[in-house]
Amino acid sequence: MLTIKKRARTSPAVLAMSLFAALGLAATGCSSSSESTSETLAPEVTTEAAVETTVAVEPFRIAVISPSAKNDSAFSQSIFDAVTRISETMEVEIQVSDGLFVVEEAAKAIRGYAEDGFDLVIAHGSQYGGPLQEIAPDYPDVAFAWGTAVDTFGLANVSSYSVRADQGGYVMGVIAATLSAAKNIGVVGPVEVGDAKLFVDGFKSGVGSKDPDVKVNVNYIKSFGDVALATEAATAFVANGADVLTGTAQMVVGAIAVAKAEGIPWFGTQSNQTALAPEIVVASQVYHWEVILATIIADVKSGVLGGKTHIATLANGGLVIEYNDAFKLDPEVKALADKTIAGLADQTINTGVK
Amino acid sequence: MWSEFFTVSSLVVVLASTIRLATPFLFASLGETLGQRSGVLNLGIEGVMLIGAFSSYYAASKTGSPWMGVLAALVTGCVMGLLYAFVTLVLHAEQGISGIGVFLLGLGLTDVLFQRWVGTPIPIDGLDPWNIPFLADIPTVGEIFFQHNPLVYLSVLLVVVATVVINRTTFGLNIRAVGEAPDAADTLGISVNRTRLFTILIGNCMAGLAGAALVLPFGTFQQNLTSGRGFIAVALVYFGAWRPIGAFAGSLLFGFVLAVVNQFGALGIVSGATSSLTAMAPAILTIVVLAIVSRRIGQPAALSKPFDRNG
Amino acid sequence: MQTEPVAPMLEMRCISKRFPGVMANDSVDFTVLPGTVHSLLGENGAGKSTLMKILYGLCRQDSGSIHFEGKEVDISSPSKAISHGIGMIHQHFMLVPTLTVAENVALGLGGRYGISDMRPIKKRLSEVSERYGLKVNHDALIWQLAVGERQRAEILKALYRDVKLLILDEPTAVLTRNEVDDLFVTLRQLTADGKGLILISHKLHEVIALSDEITVLRDGKVSGHTRPKETTRDQLAQLMVGRPVSFTREVASVGIGDVKLAIKDLIVRGDRETVTVNNLSLQVRGGEIVGVAGVSGNGQRELAEAIFGLRPNESGEICINGVRVVKPSPKAIRACGLAYVPEERMRDGVIADFTVTENLMLVDYDSESFATKGFLKLRAFQQRCAELVKNFAVKTATLESKTRQLSGGNIQKLVIAREFSSGADTLVVAQPTRGVDIGASEYIHEQLLLRRRNGSAILLISEDLDEVIALSDRILVILGGRIVGEVSRQDVNVQQLGLWMSGVHDQVSA
Repeated sequence: MLTIKKRARTSPAVLAMSLFAALGLAATGCSSSSESTSETLAPEVTTEAAVETTVAVEPFRIAVISPSAKNDSAFSQSIFDAVTRISETMEVEIQVSDGLFVVEEAAKAIRGYAEDGFDLVIAHGSQYGGPLQEIAPDYPDVAFAWGTAVDTFGLANVSSYSVRADQGGYVMGVIAATLSAAKNIGVVGPVEVGDAKLFVDGFKSGVGSKDPDVKVNVNYIKSFGDVALATEAATAFVANGADVLTGTAQMVVGAIAVAKAEGIPWFGTQSNQTALAPEIVVASQVYHWEVILATIIADVKSGVLGGKTHIATLANGGLVIEYNDAFKLDPEVKALADKTIAGLADQTINTGVK
Repeated sequence: MWSEFFTVSSLVVVLASTIRLATPFLFASLGETLGQRSGVLNLGIEGVMLIGAFSSYYAASKTGSPWMGVLAALVTGCVMGLLYAFVTLVLHAEQGISGIGVFLLGLGLTDVLFQRWVGTPIPIDGLDPWNIPFLADIPTVGEIFFQHNPLVYLSVLLVVVATVVINRTTFGLNIRAVGEAPDAADTLGISVNRTRLFTILIGNCMAGLAGAALVLPFGTFQQNLTSGRGFIAVALVYFGAWRPIGAFAGSLLFGFVLAVVNQFGALGIVSGATSSLTAMAPAILTIVVLAIVSRRIGQPAALSKPFDRNG
Repeated sequence: MQTEPVAPMLEMRCISKRFPGVMANDSVDFTVLPGTVHSLLGENGAGKSTLMKILYGLCRQDSGSIHFEGKEVDISSPSKAISHGIGMIHQHFMLVPTLTVAENVALGLGGRYGISDMRPIKKRLSEVSERYGLKVNHDALIWQLAVGERQRAEILKALYRDVKLLILDEPTAVLTRNEVDDLFVTLRQLTADGKGLILISHKLHEVIALSDEITVLRDGKVSGHTRPKETTRDQLAQLMVGRPVSFTREVASVGIGDVKLAIKDLIVRGDRETVTVNNLSLQVRGGEIVGVAGVSGNGQRELAEAIFGLRPNESGEICINGVRVVKPSPKAIRACGLAYVPEERMRDGVIADFTVTENLMLVDYDSESFATKGFLKLRAFQQRCAELVKNFAVKTATLESKTRQLSGGNIQKLVIAREFSSGADTLVVAQPTRGVDIGASEYIHEQLLLRRRNGSAILLISEDLDEVIALSDRILVILGGRIVGEVSRQDVNVQQLGLWMSGVHDQVSA
């Protein structure tokens, strides 16, 4: 009798566990496999493009897979804005799957789009390299683009794209050095790799080129999501006398909030961050991936599916410094900044960052 | 550089930061302490914190009032508590794995809702600091202790409240009895599951508040905002030997470590590989803490054991 | 006093309760008069606990009614039972070990504005203690108390709530003789106060000594109702088991052989790192049962575990069949020819979710007759198990039944079958009949005596003094991890043993 009762009792427990697991997985699942998201938003984009399309030409089909929300004012938004701009210049069909920070889910999406015969599948996240290396050889007719990265795995249908974030960082460093009366600047970073490191190193180099006496302290908080810690980092900078701040990655919104509250100038990167705090954002380094994408698309149309690495720079227009007009920047400083941009573009100035 | 660290102003930065960073730990670990004293292990508070954080952000941004955010965190915490109570008390599901389920649910749900409903993490108007009259004006001390947002004071007040409840009230006596010897409590007419329902609800509400405490002062949400704080809070309950004051000490310790590491970064004392090492300090500390208290002195005897009168 | 016609305090009429596959109570009638002790006898599974659980609101009857003080009552929970004035002293004390005596009493009483104020509770508690002579420190934490004190705390808890009827489930099982005597004084005082008592016990002489009425249950039915003056121990046992039971044992001594188990200056630490076996020495020879008597928690468990290599010994030596065990491990010790019947059979004796066969083969599975190159010879397994189950009268549906489905007595028989058939001739047997019903106990005792006749050396560690006295050639008394007294079968003096067990031997031996 004991066993029978026990068994009768375990089954709801098992049920409950599966319920939780199901709820949990469903939730993570939804969040990651945003096929539904893409379906709801893509039509807007596609229809616009499709309306203009005459019956004769078949649109170029692009799929984008990104790790965070497409309107995150940062990394994912940069690619989303780029494909949107592409759609304004040519006939394309666009599908976006955002929020795929789980790599396995992203891999599923990449394979799904390749299977569907998309012309170009953009894996927008350095963490997607592994799955791409596995999937791309299975679909030799599909072109893949991977960023930000510089490796194509020697595959003929994979191109990679990256950005000289140090160039934008350098320009903003030059401006920042002129704005810091206290000669003390704080930088909040996530992890010391990739374009975050490039940006930070370029920024430091830019500050140093303008005024070697200005102190730049960098705090890598080892997290992309920990807003509270980013906030504390910014707070500590301010408390220690910093009067200009910048930072990179999603969690810096916490630091921006501190800058906003303290009225301290902020420099944005990856995307135009003016909307987050119009009062204090001086300028943002914005990635215009459409310049790169246009090259890749042209290659694909001419039959070259990959094998190349593309770098967005100030020179090719893949990297743009966007000023916040609401921030009253001294015209002289702005002129200096523009001169720096020109110098970096024609390589008379070097950021000194490897 | 080190001389910069050992100055009064640096000390003020570190200690004030310690208190702010300790607050979410404190809310969460106090709630978990109450739950564990009654025999309920809830590993899911990380998930509840995320839900509390998101709902407080969302409510505050929609209404423009951070206090609505606090309310929203309490309400969603309560709802999560009801769910957890249903699964563990009614269905007798295994508590450890159910907690992981709650965590996954919170992680996934907040992520998907954040993307669907919000996307751009525009900072909201957060809770402004309340400067305690007179005390806030004391040099140094005032800056460290008395210029914080209201949730900080609330969390400290709750340490006292939780201590009194556990030790001085009949409800606290019931909680302790139910956590140590549920059969004995049952024979005296104390409803084991009702007692646990209350501690689960309170604990989840406090986890929700912990989430709000991560969002409201700073004014924004991000995916996986909690970054494991909920799990550290569970470890702090062990560290604190199941006492509110112990949870308080543990929260301050972790807040202090985070603040010191942060100040190292801010002053440029550490960089490169060293900064990676110091950033691991909380993780290492958690392991050390758990190893030290591995003997589990004072662990409630019925912790994580479902109660069934006929079992 | 039973001459006056008194209205019954409690009447349970025609109570039936069915669990899946078993009728736990079948039309049971049970009555208690105020100021009397009514004992409830029966083997494990006879339905005593179910009947008492129904009375205390821990479980609900399928049919039948309960009348208390003339009114029909509906007892749906323990708090209902308490509110009617029914209290219960559980065999496993229902106390919260980390709370004080007073706090345990206060539990569930509520308080003004939810604040627990101990002062009025302590005041009343002192009055109750005084009145019934129940001495215990009200501020002590339960875990700090000795077993007898805990029981007093448990009784105080009930008396504080003004119980009229008190159920005592095996109250003497864990007590020393002297503590039993004290308890009986208290119980007599309670009946003198007009309270009704229900006593559940296995110990027939206690039942006869204390009761006014006796009801015996067997297989869920009342198999007899009698009074102590009208019955004998043997009759009661027969009512319980359903066949005649003999209490007399073979006493003839057999030839004593060589020393098979020798322990010298053994020191062992317990779970809390305190020394629990303290410089203990003993010897057991072939053809001899040496009984270790003592109150629970005096190092018996640690001693047994240390001998079998389950617990490291701090110092001292253990020799089995003349071989000194250097690196104690269960496997090495079995190889020396020692078998072990553990105290916690469900934890250490069997794997509850394994089948009967699997449990029977746990020791021998890798011997040559049952395995080749790591593969089990299942057919040989089956044969051997069928034999053992038959020889040791293990009642099981099939050999493939899960062990957890067997009764306690049959699980114990299974363990004994495995251990006694392993060829070892030195046996360490801990609490062999604890929680085992009379029929199985009788069988286990016979097996022990059989092994003794065959020349085995047996160390019997038991908290059941009657058992130790009935079986042992020599009796050692353990207290605080030391052997504090030794007596041979001929010279047994129960009084003396009781004094040794409670630690007042020094005064007596003087």
